[in-house]
Amino acid sequence: MATTALAPESAHPVLTALRGAIGAVRSALQALSYNRAGMIATWVFIVIVVISFVSPLVIAEPPPDYANIYAAPSAVHPLGTDFQGSDVLAQVLRGGEVVLIVAAVAAFVSVLISITFGALSAYAGGWVDTVITGLADVVLTIPGFPLLAVLAAYLRLSNPIFLALLIAALGWPTLLRAVRSQVLSLKERDYVEAARALDLGTVHVLFREILPNMRAYIAMYFVLSMTGAIYQQVGLYLLGFAPLAGDNWGIMLNLAWYRGAIFFKGSFWYIMAPIIAISVVQLTMVTMTRSLEEAFNPRLRKAG
Amino acid sequence: MGIVALPRGPRTVARPDAGAIVAGVIHNFYVGRLFKAFITIYLVATISFFVVHLMPGSPVEVYIYTLMNQYGVSYATAQNQAAALFSVNVNEPLVQQYVGYLGQLAQGHLGNSLLSPGTSVGSVMLAYMPWTLFSVGVALLISFILGILLGMLMAYRRESVLDHALSFVGSVFNSVPNYIVGILLIVILGIQLNLIDIASMRGSFSPGVKPGVDLHFFLDALMHASLPILTYVLTTVGAWMLTMKSNTSATLDEDYVTVARARGLGDWRIMTSYVGRNAMIPLVAQVAIAAGFAVGGSILIETLFVYQGIGWILNSAIAQRDYTVMQGIFLVITISVVAANLLADLLYGRIDPRVRIQGESGG
Amino acid sequence: MATERITQPQPLVPNDVPAATAETILSVRDLWVEYATSRGSVRAVRGATFDLHQGESLALIGESGSGKTTLGLALVRLLPRAAQIPRGELDYCKGGKPVSILAMDQGSLRRYRWEECAMVFQGAQNSLNPVLTIRDQFFDTVRAHRRQSGREIEERAEELLKMVQLEPDRVLQSYPHELSGGMRQRVLIAMSLLLQPEILILDEPTTALDILTQRAIIDVLRRLKEQLGFATIFVSHDLSLAAELADRVATMYAGRIVELGPVNDIFYRSAHPYTGALLDAVPTVVGDEEKLTSIPGSPPDLRTLPTGCPFHPRCSFTIDRCRTEEVPVEWVSEHQQVACLRWRELRRERRSGASTD
Repeated sequence: MATTALAPESAHPVLTALRGAIGAVRSALQALSYNRAGMIATWVFIVIVVISFVSPLVIAEPPPDYANIYAAPSAVHPLGTDFQGSDVLAQVLRGGEVVLIVAAVAAFVSVLISITFGALSAYAGGWVDTVITGLADVVLTIPGFPLLAVLAAYLRLSNPIFLALLIAALGWPTLLRAVRSQVLSLKERDYVEAARALDLGTVHVLFREILPNMRAYIAMYFVLSMTGAIYQQVGLYLLGFAPLAGDNWGIMLNLAWYRGAIFFKGSFWYIMAPIIAISVVQLTMVTMTRSLEEAFNPRLRKAG
Repeated sequence: MGIVALPRGPRTVARPDAGAIVAGVIHNFYVGRLFKAFITIYLVATISFFVVHLMPGSPVEVYIYTLMNQYGVSYATAQNQAAALFSVNVNEPLVQQYVGYLGQLAQGHLGNSLLSPGTSVGSVMLAYMPWTLFSVGVALLISFILGILLGMLMAYRRESVLDHALSFVGSVFNSVPNYIVGILLIVILGIQLNLIDIASMRGSFSPGVKPGVDLHFFLDALMHASLPILTYVLTTVGAWMLTMKSNTSATLDEDYVTVARARGLGDWRIMTSYVGRNAMIPLVAQVAIAAGFAVGGSILIETLFVYQGIGWILNSAIAQRDYTVMQGIFLVITISVVAANLLADLLYGRIDPRVRIQGESGG
Repeated sequence: MATERITQPQPLVPNDVPAATAETILSVRDLWVEYATSRGSVRAVRGATFDLHQGESLALIGESGSGKTTLGLALVRLLPRAAQIPRGELDYCKGGKPVSILAMDQGSLRRYRWEECAMVFQGAQNSLNPVLTIRDQFFDTVRAHRRQSGREIEERAEELLKMVQLEPDRVLQSYPHELSGGMRQRVLIAMSLLLQPEILILDEPTTALDILTQRAIIDVLRRLKEQLGFATIFVSHDLSLAAELADRVATMYAGRIVELGPVNDIFYRSAHPYTGALLDAVPTVVGDEEKLTSIPGSPPDLRTLPTGCPFHPRCSFTIDRCRTEEVPVEWVSEHQQVACLRWRELRRERRSGASTD
């Protein structure tokens, strides 16, 4: 786990954060490959991410070809064409970028909010704590997706990044409570007392003593958060409440639904391609979460 | 070697006096929950009020503006119409409007629909809510019961082929978004394999069938709700199964199960009253919470299957910018979720004798 | 320490064991219990041999890891899944005809449990179903074996609860968590006598209870025994319990019964160094100021037992033969048996707690 140095050597925050981040990534990869399924899932996920970010750079937006609507799979169009005659495979390959970015941004902002306010809440105590936890409880109780739908409609978002922020705005309570309870319990621990006695400052204590111990949970929560963000995003696209510019997986689903591709036998691949892509991404991420869970919680490991 | 005296406190009798009851209620854990529930509902009502009134291009102003420009109505008239529809008076100071709004809410008036003036939001609710409750209720029941039975089976047959297969299938369906499972059902069962006639499944009941309390109607409704129910069951049963399996496994290791075997109790009795009941306790409370979530998530499934419940009407209200209906439904959904959570807490206290209101029995 | 290289459990039973008498109710011969673990098989009980007579109380004394609890569980075949009985005989001898418990089918076993032989487990904290009232659990117990009317069951339950010094009205309607630890232990004892078993096995009946409750339980057990006349097996690490309640005492070490005899013989004329060491470690309330000696070292890891006598690393009287030879069980007197090569020299007289050399 986290080794703590008592001497306040490099107080340079950026370096400290960087070192922490690198260590975190390394142990995360170790944990992800903890069980076989996790290892496979991680690799698949990495492949998907790479394809999603590289494809838009090398594959151009497929042009419509009205003579060739809903064409069957062929050498030229391995997955057929859509309602406009555009190549489906190209769309699927290019379609992951936005979805993944939005998910990552949403998860990141959510984690940031949770950690900041969770730690603050636990550290400060008193009415600050009460207000923040109360707010968290309320947000937790309000049904997320309908609220998201209503807000998305009201706000008429133009940019997917705003969508990410909106999702994050509703997703932080769970991790906040976890961070808060961890900080509360760690606050009393000896090494924290020692650090405080040495007058090392709140931020230092937070970043060097407490958070490293929560690495595991934060990593898990980040991945889980991304899963939720993808669910909500694609759901909003499907209903038509998210910005419909571009050609990501969510928009493909939306167009397939509204153009009736679902009900038409010949357009099988047009609807299946984004479905498979989304499902695989979700499955790999959930498997990765399970692997992380097993790695960090010895009680879950199968008895030797 | 005399009789060991039993410690006698003031409350060893099973029936406490009135004073103890009152004290118990005040310090009660339920009252706290109730209070929190009210706060949540109040906050949601407040937020939706201010969103409507303070957002740029608030629906009230848009409405007034549209009336004035498109219909050439004067500002005063437009204002009055807006007041009637939104249960607000635009001229009044905001705070007064707010108080008025809360007052209306307390009396159960949610305003009128923007697009079908004259139809109160309340009546819309009454028309569509029962369908959602029906499908969610049936689905939850099936999912829960199936989950419990399969979960126990998996625990009793740990590490068997059945265990691994069910775990795998359950978690796959749990990870894939539920609307995607719904689309898959339509695409694969309906279109590709032609097993189901999708067209006839649209709507909550077949045209020409009169709603009423009879078997024919019930079966028809059930058929129309079958796809949403199937989708819901497929995507949630995995979670119930896995939780029940781990609870059952843990319970099987408990001392009282071994002692029950030592007492020569029959396997069936042990499985139901000793293992099953104890393993199930945490899950029963979650049923209420799951119901809350299901109602909240209904917007996607119902839209997909054109099942006219509260989710479907919410979607069309959003799409058509019928703000009052949107607000009203959202509030009602929130109230349902809050009520469900309260119910969950209550259930937990009833089922687990270890968690009871203080003041009921002496320690 | 060399790993025990015996692959097949060898008999450690002396050839001249007296046959079961008409009063024998339980006959145990050369019983072995083996656990399969990820790191090899562990023999928790090795060649246990003894008879239990009607109405007699036998104390099984040993440190943790000595195999005493496992032996208790084996007697009702409630061992965990990982354990098995590779060798031995266990017979129940009511009415003269011995019935092999090891060969019983599940149905007979279920009837045997609690009706003939009841076991009260260690730590009653969690031995009762938390969601059923005590009354329901009494009913469950009886209804699993006999058809009796609710009224009959209730009367019997009340009778037994009074015998263990509990108020039936209050206790029967309670849930387990509403009763204290001592009360739960007494409820279990009462429940164990519901079907009038011939044998009652008690695993650490007084551990984890406070002194006063311990006293109460011991008194209750003694009175019940006088009134109802069942045979008892106490499993404990507490010698004083044996002194109070036992007719015969067996000491166990590393899965073997190293000494067995009438309680006075064991306390005043013990033959095995381990028994002697246990006795030396117990302070006496009366008697001369004695230096307390604890046994050096700790109980052995059952996976890597030393060759020869398992006690030799901690024994103050070890000779070379102890390290190499298998120690057979020998008879000190008609009633006392011991497993030590040097028992003749080491047998000690004790006067009211003080030892003489």
